[in-house]
Amino acid sequence: MQVGLHHYLVVSALLFSLGLLGVLARRNLLVIYMGLELMLNAANLALVAFSRYNANLNGQVMVFFIITVAAAEVAVGLSLIVALYRKRQSAHVEDLTSLKL
Amino acid sequence: MDAHAAHHAVTAAAPAFSSRPEDIAWFILLLPLIAAAGITLLVRRSNFLAATFSLAATTTAFILSFVLFLTFGLGDATAAATPFAWLHAGDLAVNLGVTVDKLSTLMLLVVTGVSALVQVYSLGYMHGDRSFPRFFVGLSLFTFSMLGIVLADNLVMMFLFWELVGVSSWLLIGFWYEKESAADAAKKAFLTNRLGDFGFLLGIILIWAAAGTVNFAELSQKLGAHPDLLGNLSSVAGLLVFMGAMGKSAQFPLHVWLPDAMEGPTPVSALIHAATMVAAGVYMLCRVFFLYQVDPAWPVALSFLGSISALDIIAALGGFTALLAALMAIQQNDIKRILAYSTLSQLGYMVMAVGCGGPDAAMYHLTTHAGFKALLFLGAGSVIHACHHEQDIWKMGGLRSVMPKTFLTFALGTAALIGLPPLSGFYSKDSVLLAALENGHPVLFGLGVLIAAMTTFYMVRLVLVAFLGTNRSEAAGHAHESPGSMTWPLILLAVPSVALAWLPLGDYLRHHFFSDHAHHAAAVSDEISVGASLSALFGGLNQILFEPFNHAPLPAVMGTGALLIGAWVAVTLYWKAERDPLPKLLGALARGMKNRFYFDELYEAVFIPLHDLVARFADGFDRWVVSGLVVRGVHGSTELLGRTLRILQSGNLQTYTFLFVAGVALVVLLALK
Amino acid sequence: MSSLTPLLLTPFLGALLVLAVPGNYRVILRALALLTGALTAFQAIALFAGFQGGSAELQFVQQVEWIPSVGLSYHVGVDGLNIGLVLMAALVSFAAICAAWEIERQVKLFYFLLLVMTGGALGAFISLDLFFLYFFNELALVPTFLMLGLWGRGEQKTYATFQITLYLTLGALVALTGLIALYVMSGVNSLDVLVLKAALAEKPLSAQAQTLIFPLLLLGFGTLVGLWPFHSWAAPGYAAAPTSTAMMHAGVLKKVGLYALIRVAWPFMPVGVAEWMPALALLCLGNILYCGWVAMRQRDLALLLGNSSLAHMGFCFLGLASVTVLGITGVVVIMVAHGLLAALSFALNGYLFNRCGTTDMDKLGGLLRQMPFIGTAIIMAFMAGCGLPGFANFPGELSVMFGAWKALPWFVVAAAWGGLIIGGVYMLRAIRSVVHGPAKAEFNHVSDANYWRRLPFLVLLAALLWFGIQPDSLVSRIQPSVVEIVKAAAPAPPVPAAPAAVAAAH
Repeated sequence: MQVGLHHYLVVSALLFSLGLLGVLARRNLLVIYMGLELMLNAANLALVAFSRYNANLNGQVMVFFIITVAAAEVAVGLSLIVALYRKRQSAHVEDLTSLKL
Repeated sequence: MDAHAAHHAVTAAAPAFSSRPEDIAWFILLLPLIAAAGITLLVRRSNFLAATFSLAATTTAFILSFVLFLTFGLGDATAAATPFAWLHAGDLAVNLGVTVDKLSTLMLLVVTGVSALVQVYSLGYMHGDRSFPRFFVGLSLFTFSMLGIVLADNLVMMFLFWELVGVSSWLLIGFWYEKESAADAAKKAFLTNRLGDFGFLLGIILIWAAAGTVNFAELSQKLGAHPDLLGNLSSVAGLLVFMGAMGKSAQFPLHVWLPDAMEGPTPVSALIHAATMVAAGVYMLCRVFFLYQVDPAWPVALSFLGSISALDIIAALGGFTALLAALMAIQQNDIKRILAYSTLSQLGYMVMAVGCGGPDAAMYHLTTHAGFKALLFLGAGSVIHACHHEQDIWKMGGLRSVMPKTFLTFALGTAALIGLPPLSGFYSKDSVLLAALENGHPVLFGLGVLIAAMTTFYMVRLVLVAFLGTNRSEAAGHAHESPGSMTWPLILLAVPSVALAWLPLGDYLRHHFFSDHAHHAAAVSDEISVGASLSALFGGLNQILFEPFNHAPLPAVMGTGALLIGAWVAVTLYWKAERDPLPKLLGALARGMKNRFYFDELYEAVFIPLHDLVARFADGFDRWVVSGLVVRGVHGSTELLGRTLRILQSGNLQTYTFLFVAGVALVVLLALK
Repeated sequence: MSSLTPLLLTPFLGALLVLAVPGNYRVILRALALLTGALTAFQAIALFAGFQGGSAELQFVQQVEWIPSVGLSYHVGVDGLNIGLVLMAALVSFAAICAAWEIERQVKLFYFLLLVMTGGALGAFISLDLFFLYFFNELALVPTFLMLGLWGRGEQKTYATFQITLYLTLGALVALTGLIALYVMSGVNSLDVLVLKAALAEKPLSAQAQTLIFPLLLLGFGTLVGLWPFHSWAAPGYAAAPTSTAMMHAGVLKKVGLYALIRVAWPFMPVGVAEWMPALALLCLGNILYCGWVAMRQRDLALLLGNSSLAHMGFCFLGLASVTVLGITGVVVIMVAHGLLAALSFALNGYLFNRCGTTDMDKLGGLLRQMPFIGTAIIMAFMAGCGLPGFANFPGELSVMFGAWKALPWFVVAAAWGGLIIGGVYMLRAIRSVVHGPAKAEFNHVSDANYWRRLPFLVLLAALLWFGIQPDSLVSRIQPSVVEIVKAAAPAPPVPAAPAAVAAAH
């Protein structure tokens, strides 16, 4: 069986959907965050696949950017979640409905 | 403009002060303003300096006016200079200029003369008042405004000073502003005058729109060349301008402010409400008399008036005012109010004279009246001052012996007012009656004679009750003669009251109004010798004194007869009377006279509530409909929308995410379709 | 560089300097703001004196390209229409800064906002690019809302803030829509007045475009001025505003809308003018008569002044509707005069509020004895408000009435009634109940203004008197530009050339 673009894209779509499901269904902020990362990686996978099959390196360069930015984002996001947990003693989204602390 | 004025226009850029008449006129005009500004800015804490400033300015103005009268007024030339462009926009050009002619030089003398004497009088009368300097500022400001009206060379400038006179009289009537009645009277005077000004302004606009100029000389020239210049609006324009005079000269139905204005200090009553401000209306009518000399023409809506001219209406209103006010004066007991109604009545007389086509007679009567009425008011002030501010004549009595100077001058003023020959009032009144008779108004002539009798009646009543008999109150018993600063003006004013008529003023004025311009331009040389003029003045004295009886015996005899009848009735009723016998004799009529025929009550019951009602409606509409329905409606619907949308904003992160994803999915779906 | 740019930069620089000073140095903050205001005012006076009257040319012009692709440039200049307004705005700003002594909380922020407002107002008047006109106007409006909300007074404060924000924002938005439509439909890729003027002289806007754009501009800018029936924000807004804000808005910012109408709507859309003239004449009666009647009913001095200010705006609309040189010249004179007068009246109202604790006319009375200076100033201001000669309003209103007579005689009758009678009634009533009458015991302690506090009143009174006695000094500068406007606005011009030449000679 020849592995083609479609296969990568289907995997990417599956990963994206799983991530989205995690974001929508889970209540714990950390898990939601992991779902977000999954969605990012799904996008990365799709970009790499497009890049490979279009013989164009732009997509892969973009992925490097995304990985770098995502690393920074994870650092900021996790520290926010930790700070939130310290303040509220909870990381559940139901408890965090007001914008003001 | 004629060649003479053009000549002056060329030399208008000459040095600041020269002896040209218009420069002197400017100086006269500005002197009181300088005094008012100087007192306000420099010496408002010093009684002495304030009075000095003001008095010096007015006296100088009087002397200059006298010089101007002798050197220029006795000639026939007209000087008009327009050195100051006030407003030039579009097709409106307004300059501030002065007109120096017979009319204005005479009026300058009246205004500055009475003003100077009133200021001297005020030194005594206002002595000790805490706002003494403010009083002199007010008097100076008023004199300035009044001189502006006298000298104005165009309608807009006249309106400008017209308004300034209104406001300075407001300041003076409301001088004792802490007294509720004085503050109210000031407000009433100002607003009533404003009603007149409303018409005056519209009249000016109407005339400007048709003639394209507001300058008196140009207007008169244009109207002379094209009598139909104002089209079918000429009579309406005349009546609108007359509305201004109705306000200032307190003609029916705008007469209600004048008696109330007596709340001001008595010198103010003498200056403003006897001699000058109220005369402004008559003066203005004389100034624009050329407007009324065209044939009557009415717009279609008013065509039923036919050949009745604006002058006829003016004459009728003047006569009616004179009658009404004389009736009211008969039953007043307040000494100042009697004089106030008498002023109203005499003003009606003057307006009637203008309406009968005799502006010269009106100006003649205005001049003599200014003298003797100022004298009467100042005399009344002297009495009030002596009786500790008692104004009811029935609480006076017997003042003749304690206040001889005041009594004598007051009696002289009264004699002049009722027209006792050979005092000045007789001649001027005679000329008014003659104007009515000669110009075909026999009814108004009869009315004039009747009013003359009534005038005599109420003035004799006043003198009999207040000065003769025995004193009827404590205050009158302790009365004593007023200080010299108050009696000297009385004596000085008595001189013109007696002697003014011995000058050929009637001829002087007739000359101004009815001279043939071409004829006089040729006859008059540029230089006028003072000596020759004076000898001409006094030469015919003998002839002047008896002139009325020779020239037109009917009005002279009728006038004298009316005087005798009025005096006889008054003496029989009031000689040594302890209380007024008239209310019993006349009943309801006397009550009506006493209560001013309920005009104030009528206005207060009808016009003021009407305006208030509209205002109330507008305010309610603003509050409940515009502000309520519209604004709160917008407010409410926005709020409702906000409340609805708020349901969606649960604050739950995952709800938002779900909606967001659903939205993206929808967009993708639409995009792919 | 034109001397307009330093004039515009002065208040903004002052605002930045104010930001740099710590908030508790109140004396320094005030001195800095006053200095900035004085500098601005002096520059404006010098500008007015240096302006050459008798010509319709723009003067002190400066243009710097900004975004050429959409035709935006910093373009400033003055002609007869705005030279007087610039002077008025600078004088009123100075007076408003003087009158800000009443502010006690957050002084720094207040002076900052006030200076930004000053800069915004000046910028709006001198900008020849309509984008900048709009931008600067908004820049000045936003501080108005903030100041009203933060330092406002009275129970109605919140409602008044809400209402004024709603109205003015909506009005500005409608006007912006009109401007954008003008930008698109004129097809010249520019909002520069001169470019538009040249282009539209070649190829005028289609009648259809004019009937679309004109009402947007009229109603949008009209709302900013308080055109009836979009007026109800004004009186409560001014009553609730702190003194300086009321002075600046009623005096200066309100005139921006009128200025924009004269600058843009009238010359560029003659068809729109002709179409809307009867309606505008009717609406102006709403201002003159209706707002006058409403003013008659007010017992609160601030509300009375707010409504009387609306009534004065009615004269402006009447003059605009007349489309004559005389009428529109009168409008510009009224704009200058009323700016000074409204600022003066609200400054006096603020002084009374601070000293007596109320502006309820039933509670006030007999104040002339206690405060001779303020009392006299009140009398002068209110007399000017009912059209007394000697003050600058009189020549303006006179010109409007004369100018409008031929086209709209009955409206002039109503306007004269409104100005002379209704105006007289409410102003005289106000004087009667505030300064006349017996002195009241509860005001025995109130003190008159000291020499420093008199400064703003004296500045405004002096300007009002100067232009009242010498209106020609203003009119000769205004008129040539108005002639141009009227030429463009009235396609069949009944404009005589002679008066312009006469004015040029003086």
